[in-house]
Amino acid sequence: MKTTKKIRREGKQLFRLCIVNGLLDESRTSEVVKRVIESNRRGHLALLSMFQRWVRLNLAEHTAEVETAAPLPADLRATLQARLENLYGPGTNIQFADRPSLIGGMRVKVGSDVYDGSVQSELAELEKSF
Amino acid sequence: MADLLREIEAQISGAKASATKQNVGVIREIADGVARVEGLGDAMLNEMLDLGHGITGLALDLDETEVGVIILGDYTRLEEGDEVRATGKLLQVPVGKGLLGRVVNTLGEPVDGKGPVKSDVAYPVEKIAPGIIRRRPVSQPVQTGIMPIDAMIPIGRGQRELIIGDRSTGKTTICLDTILSQARLNKAAEAAGDRDYRPLYCIYVAIGQKQSNIARILTILEEAGAMPYTIIVASSASDSAANQYLAPFAGAAMGEWFMENGMDALIIYDDLSKHAVAYRQVSLVLKRPSGREAYPGDVFYLHSRLLERAARLGEQYGNGSLTAMPIIETQAGDVSAYIPTNVISITDGQIYLETDLFYQGVRPAISVGLSVSRVGSAAQLKAMKQVAGQLKGDLAQFRELAAFAQFGSELDAKTQAKIDRGKRIVEIFKQPQYSPIPVEVQVVVIWVAQNGYMDDVPIDRVKEYQTRLTEFLTTVKDELLRKIAKERELSPALTKELKALAEQFKESWK
Repeated sequence: MKTTKKIRREGKQLFRLCIVNGLLDESRTSEVVKRVIESNRRGHLALLSMFQRWVRLNLAEHTAEVETAAPLPADLRATLQARLENLYGPGTNIQFADRPSLIGGMRVKVGSDVYDGSVQSELAELEKSF
Repeated sequence: MADLLREIEAQISGAKASATKQNVGVIREIADGVARVEGLGDAMLNEMLDLGHGITGLALDLDETEVGVIILGDYTRLEEGDEVRATGKLLQVPVGKGLLGRVVNTLGEPVDGKGPVKSDVAYPVEKIAPGIIRRRPVSQPVQTGIMPIDAMIPIGRGQRELIIGDRSTGKTTICLDTILSQARLNKAAEAAGDRDYRPLYCIYVAIGQKQSNIARILTILEEAGAMPYTIIVASSASDSAANQYLAPFAGAAMGEWFMENGMDALIIYDDLSKHAVAYRQVSLVLKRPSGREAYPGDVFYLHSRLLERAARLGEQYGNGSLTAMPIIETQAGDVSAYIPTNVISITDGQIYLETDLFYQGVRPAISVGLSVSRVGSAAQLKAMKQVAGQLKGDLAQFRELAAFAQFGSELDAKTQAKIDRGKRIVEIFKQPQYSPIPVEVQVVVIWVAQNGYMDDVPIDRVKEYQTRLTEFLTTVKDELLRKIAKERELSPALTKELKALAEQFKESWK
């Protein structure tokens, strides 16, 4: 299925309709999907796929993935949440995950920004320097 | 042992872990050496990207949601979903004298098996050319050692002179002869301890050429002892289009180092036709809109920004220079095609090589009528200007008269004399490849021909006459050559000596 310029443009327009005060509005998003499917116009699947891409990128920008080697205590989670909201604005969705392969430290990913303070990455850097 | 443990413990307790912010993306699509990467929100144009596996990429298209990346390396090892990291550095290559004598790829990595390149300085591959304030007019010559060029189409340091012609007409040979001539001059100046002489370093950029061709060129330069003054930037036909597109820019960065450090350099782009084709491929894969002959709209800017980097800098900016000799291959002699006309309009002149002349045995097959040097005459040696000033006009007149004489009509003595003289000049301009002639020898040979000393030599023996005259000059009259090289112009006293020499040689000539 070829994504034409028109579909790309319309997909972006639909996505913009779903933004309220700089944040993605869930109800509007569902409404847009419902209406497009109902319209059954030609190329609506390509349009929805383009719309979904915009939504996915927006969610990634407002989602912080926090990975640690061991589970974090509640107070540290709260501090981290406050700091990330301070940096990336309120409404940042924070997801905590355990990843023992990090060995120690923490890795935070928000959109295309990555803060890597894990032992694994330090070791990789050390290996590179040799 | 206990002390050692305590020391390690102290260091661990004192160590502070810090997390650095990185900009990353994910490969969404990859094909033909070009990847589309999602993320990389802070990527800069022309930023180097780390694609993992030791592969580098270059951010070339910055779209709203993704980045178009050209991959400089083996892209078959990359997969969709791989992480890409921004490095925060623009694409740069190592520069400096450590590269002389080496063969490097587009990234400045050695490919000659002689170990790592010694360089502690790097220059960005894309750089804005020097502005008008930093420049000064061309005034010093580049002695190519090719008689028709040094006599009629002189090239100055800082000039951009295009070499254009069909396939197999001797374009690369002209450039190699020029490199060999520079090596000879550089070596002679070093041996004589001449501190006033400014050595000219050469950079040969091979774009989309066969590996065997590059190896042949390397052998020629090594055998002639020219490699200590030469850098070869090789991006062969087996390299990716992205590497071929960037190779001339990498070479220009290496040349700029010499220029900005008060030295002179000559860069040869062999050839820009293949460069335009490589850029077209990259652009089409990046889905940029195509224009005439499917080239992207900015193909003119691609070559103009590259060739603008050739310049002669003013005294207060180091007095360095970068001379450019781009090569363009035409199809069936068509100079009005898209890329040839673009490059002709950008450069300060062109040397046009004709297939017909080549097969007539006139080698180098330079078409005097279509070749021109727009700024080089200001840099020409005065002695050469004195002997060769009228040569281009005389040769043009000769061709016209020779064409007329083909009809077999009776000619008056004056016309016949002009035709005979023209034929002799064409003969003396024939020159075997890889044997550049010193400029002072060129001056004497042209003076002898222009003053009628060759008029009674049969045309089929002119070349022999020239060879024997050159031998006579270099063995018996070495002092006269040194005087011409030193004085740089033909004073009445020198002219008198030349006359005596011509007569003395004529007596010995049989």
